[in-house]
Amino acid sequence: MEAELVEADIVVPMQLRFKKIQSYEKYPKGQTRGRWKHLKQILQAENFQDYPPEEPNYINIESPPSNQPCKRICDITGYEAPYVDPRTNLRYANADVFKTVRSLSTEQVHQYLSIRNAAVVLK
Amino acid sequence: MGSISFVSKIRRQTDYNTFSPSIPIVIDNGASYFRIGWAGETEPRLIFRNIVQRPRHKATGETVTIVGDLDPALMKYFDCTRSGPRSPFDSNVVYQFEMMEYILDFAFDRLGADGSVIDHPILITECACNPVQSRSKMAELLFETYGVPAVAFGVDAAFSYKYNQLHGICKKDGIVVCPGFTTMHTIPFVDGEPVYKGSCRTNIGGYHVTDYLKQLLSLKYPFHSSRFTWEKAEDLKLEHCYIAPDYAIEVRKFQEGTKEAEEKTRYWQLPWIPPPIEVPPSEEEIARKAAIREKQGQRLREMAEAKRSSRINEMENELQSLHFLVKQLDQVEEDEIPSFLSDTGYASRQELESTVSKVTQSLRKARGEPKNEPAESEENTDSFNNDKYPLIIVPDDMLTSEQLKEKKKQIFLKTTTEGRLRARQKRNEEELEKERRNQLEEERQRENPEFYLEEMRAQYKEVLERVEQKKRVKTNGTSTNGNNKSGGVGRGERLSAAQRERMRLLTTAAFDRGKGEDTFGSRDEDWQLYKRMSKDHDEDDEQPDSDEAELARLSSKLQEIDPTFVQKAEGESIQPSGEAPRVRPLTEEDYKIVIGIERFRCPEIMFHPNLIGIDQVGLDEMGGASIKRLPHSDSELEERLTSSILMTGGCSLVPGMKERLESGIRMLRPCGSLIHVIQAVDPVLDAWRGASAFAANLNFLGNAFTKMDYYEKGEDWLRRYQIRYNNL
Repeated sequence: MEAELVEADIVVPMQLRFKKIQSYEKYPKGQTRGRWKHLKQILQAENFQDYPPEEPNYINIESPPSNQPCKRICDITGYEAPYVDPRTNLRYANADVFKTVRSLSTEQVHQYLSIRNAAVVLK
Repeated sequence: MGSISFVSKIRRQTDYNTFSPSIPIVIDNGASYFRIGWAGETEPRLIFRNIVQRPRHKATGETVTIVGDLDPALMKYFDCTRSGPRSPFDSNVVYQFEMMEYILDFAFDRLGADGSVIDHPILITECACNPVQSRSKMAELLFETYGVPAVAFGVDAAFSYKYNQLHGICKKDGIVVCPGFTTMHTIPFVDGEPVYKGSCRTNIGGYHVTDYLKQLLSLKYPFHSSRFTWEKAEDLKLEHCYIAPDYAIEVRKFQEGTKEAEEKTRYWQLPWIPPPIEVPPSEEEIARKAAIREKQGQRLREMAEAKRSSRINEMENELQSLHFLVKQLDQVEEDEIPSFLSDTGYASRQELESTVSKVTQSLRKARGEPKNEPAESEENTDSFNNDKYPLIIVPDDMLTSEQLKEKKKQIFLKTTTEGRLRARQKRNEEELEKERRNQLEEERQRENPEFYLEEMRAQYKEVLERVEQKKRVKTNGTSTNGNNKSGGVGRGERLSAAQRERMRLLTTAAFDRGKGEDTFGSRDEDWQLYKRMSKDHDEDDEQPDSDEAELARLSSKLQEIDPTFVQKAEGESIQPSGEAPRVRPLTEEDYKIVIGIERFRCPEIMFHPNLIGIDQVGLDEMGGASIKRLPHSDSELEERLTSSILMTGGCSLVPGMKERLESGIRMLRPCGSLIHVIQAVDPVLDAWRGASAFAANLNFLGNAFTKMDYYEKGEDWLRRYQIRYNNL
């Protein structure tokens, strides 16, 4: 290993005395590592529905939907947006922005929509 | 990282062995930063970003583990193509324990551990209501891999609240508001203990703010999108973002372009190197170049002349020898001609003569003399016609059958000649008409050039639109945008109007058979069906598109008179306005990133998560929701809670947060309620400090559990496990 790297001391050593089992033994090279359950799968396995609802858990402490009216802002400029372009579904503030909206490529429209999770993926 | 408020500390510690095994190690395991240190101390020993990279070391080919941020200068030694930075977190829950292990390895190693096990109790933070699977995996890892004697779990926001309570900043009843990296929490405290029943979590955090900024800027400046890395966006966020007291009012200032908005706009100038300026060539330069060109032309002309004269010379010689041959032939006796000719290679006298005439012809051509064929007269007058076709005017009954035949022929010849003449005349007239129109246009151009140009542009646009529209209809019946470039029709893809019609015809033809009497073919129109069915059938191609011709004319005209005119490339859609147009040279202005509304638009998602499509309450409403979730409605308690709202977590450092939170909660509470929002002493480090104080307490071990407890008490116990914060 290069002197500069040794000097910087950034690499985690392979062998660590304080460990009862080393990482390379636990996760041998080349073997497909057991896939880690993602949060969604973890939560499914927790079976929260089997427990009383008054007991707080990861799912039921989540915030409720808002009571306030949904704020609509122009996707491009951030101004308040009274209009929606029926062709692209983008919200826009005024005629100038509308021109920009119509000049966007489908790719860009899609990106703008996916920012606010409104992009429809046709399969 | 060049951030302002977060600093990594990764200096290797050497005093590990001076700590007795009874002193716990305290870890604040946050989704963005990992902080580790000793119980009872006020500062964590190590702070680093909670990420792992496992690149390949180029020299040795080994896969190495690097935890935290990597100095970009050292990147050159590694091949990172297959491994980006990875986090052990999914949202705020640890799920990837292999990554977690590398991070703990690094942390303990840096803390100076060198015994056979980590012989210290550990207090580690987790999210509120951590799923038991994640909690048990973490305990198992600490017990089995590191040999830790005892483990305790606590919630970072709660530790922060307790730490501030300890310093008299907040009271025993209150609410902690903690906008973090991936999530935001509000947790009410009653009698100094967190009430998770009343807590609220919205899945938005600093990560989302940064990501929003990154995406908005990349879309605003597609030309520079590669510049907006996640790290850069994070820096920009920390440097510029603030929370507007009222989004609508603030945004109107920008929309109206007020002076205040101008002052609030920030700029980021990207490095820009001006292109070399082209100096127009000087007079001498032009003259010099012209002289060179002239000289080259002269040389070429001379060469061509020389070649021509040598060819003429050659041919003259040949002609001379041929003439000589002919003269000789004249002198030769009649019976000796064949033998003489066979010697010269010619078969007969005729051949020789024809060769002579051929050579003479080509010689004439080479010399540039006119051909000796009579030029065809263009003038066809009636009298000439009468001379040429004398039989036409003679009545039929005066002619013999031979002459009748001849007359028919003459009539035919005459009509065709006349037809040709007429066509020529028409062409001439058309040309004249065109000339006249051009003149007219030029006149108008002279009179009012600007207006004329405008008019031309408008016309061009209109025709272009028409042509494109036609094209769209042709390629895709009802498509909203003409971007369907794929010609093939696969499964699920939409057919063009023409293709649909063809399919319809085919299917009706297929199903029509056998139904009733087959009358196909009884009418002539029936056979048209096959023509319509045939694949290549395309009605538009049958006649040349007049619009396209007009478009070509207009664009060529515009190119002449308008220097800024750019012909739109075939099939290319209009460039977005954000992109620096390619036609003009890029200026420094094009490399200036303007950050105006984005400064407060991005953090606004913490108060309005629906801006990025998350249907949950924002930070201010979370406070109200938390109070509502408490088991018993108690207005006195509620009053006490709202009078002690503590803001902690990295995102509470965004300027304007306190004011906005206070006004937001005030809107939700009854009129006249006491509302008091306080910022934590250090929103980033207080969680670790609170945990450190908690672990230093003598009662700490009563809140921790050992490996034996872990295996004996079972999962259900671990799920309910909770430390008592009042022990602090």
